[in-house]
Amino acid sequence: MEHAEIEARVKKVTAQVLGVEESEIKPESRFVEDLGAESVQSLELVAAFEDEFDIEMEEDAALQVKTVGDAVTFIARHLK
Amino acid sequence: MKTCIFEDSKWVNLTPLSYLRPVFQLRCGYHTLIERILPRLPGTKASFYVRDYLAPLVKKNFSFPVNEPETFENDVLLINGRWLLTGEAPLDTTREAAHVSGDSLVYALVRRETIRKLWKGSLEQLLNEIPAAVPRVPLQANLIEYPWQLIHHNPTVLREDFTATGLRGLQGKFASQSVIYGPPDLVYLAPGAEVHPLVVLDTNSGPIFIEEKVKIYPGARIEGPCYLGAKTEIMPGASIREGNSFGPVCKVGGEVEESIFHGYTNKYHDGFIGHSYVGEFVNLGALTTNSDLKNDYSTVSVPVNGTLVDTGELKVGSFFGDHTKTSIGTFFNTGSSVGIMCNITAGGILPKFFPSFVWYVNNKFMKGFGLEMMLETARSAMARRKRELSPEEEAVIRTVYELTREQRQAAIRKSRKT
Repeated sequence: MEHAEIEARVKKVTAQVLGVEESEIKPESRFVEDLGAESVQSLELVAAFEDEFDIEMEEDAALQVKTVGDAVTFIARHLK
Repeated sequence: MKTCIFEDSKWVNLTPLSYLRPVFQLRCGYHTLIERILPRLPGTKASFYVRDYLAPLVKKNFSFPVNEPETFENDVLLINGRWLLTGEAPLDTTREAAHVSGDSLVYALVRRETIRKLWKGSLEQLLNEIPAAVPRVPLQANLIEYPWQLIHHNPTVLREDFTATGLRGLQGKFASQSVIYGPPDLVYLAPGAEVHPLVVLDTNSGPIFIEEKVKIYPGARIEGPCYLGAKTEIMPGASIREGNSFGPVCKVGGEVEESIFHGYTNKYHDGFIGHSYVGEFVNLGALTTNSDLKNDYSTVSVPVNGTLVDTGELKVGSFFGDHTKTSIGTFFNTGSSVGIMCNITAGGILPKFFPSFVWYVNNKFMKGFGLEMMLETARSAMARRKRELSPEEEAVIRTVYELTREQRQAAIRKSRKT
């Protein structure tokens, strides 16, 4: 999968889970500080990424994902 | 003669309570099961046989050999760690025999010649072969097979334990505005314990034993039989109904009936807990409540190791594994089993089985933030009570995390499909 497609789908999922406009979401956007993710929403985001890309995200590794760009890189690595 | 207190394969029936401790460290009445067995064996050399992953922790907590095959080189008295050994229960240490209850060995004295023939390196195999190799004696014994049996026996054992201690009277501070309602000689208040004003100790149904440094705050009502472990605090206005055992360093508020709190557990606020066993370092958020009676008055079933088991009892509550936390307003269904280190938030009708380490949020099982963060939380919770998470305890938790991984992932997968 192309990096651009992963990024687009990450933004779509993030917008759905956090209830923000896709246009507000940038690669450097931080889930908690910039997009307002509550701790429970962080869990929902992980679940939603796993469903969207059909991958397993180890909890401790997922915890290191802080920004939208981190999520794209993390998922791209899993899809390889 | 050596004595070996062992765990058999039924430890799994006592999960989640037995995940982080051997079965003989479960509590009933004033004591754990092992605290009842050891005093019956004065002068013998005791050793333990437990699950491999628990061995380093058990070795650290007791000064006895653990999982050492040398145990089986001479005469040996084997005792099942699930035995609730109370009162005058017989323990014949003179004749070679296997004392059995149902399909389980309760205890056996096996002579050196026999044990050397039978021991082939596997305890399970040894336990299977002993009843056929030595005289078999049927025994009526309280062998704890499921967690709710600890709750079932607790009121009777509490009464027996009070008699056995022989301790009576108010040696601690008892405010003059508080009352003992019922026979006054059914209270023991240890030195250093405090009963604040406007507390009612109701001994009409049984004795109340209050250990050192317990504090009971104003407005609390405590019914016997009841045991309050050292440094436990009973919050203002609490209604402690009959048949409760609270281990050390608990904080208990709201309404609690016929339950066992293992120790170091907080149920600070209002909310009802009944016919339940609560593990160590559990925190039950305000208004957390469990049902212990079904609306149709039918017998309660409890999930045990993936299977729903009919308890045959009308009143059964919930079983909470160590380090589990619940949010405010969490309501548990009758006969729920909650794993260790779960994090559960309120929402609708909850499932009856929570795999260990799972998070339950918005009516779905989720992965949570991972084991490392849970361990960090455990360290913080324990430090608040001046306890440390030892390397041995941490290793046990990491093993159970792997043991329960598939259960957890299955619940998460199923949850997403619904």
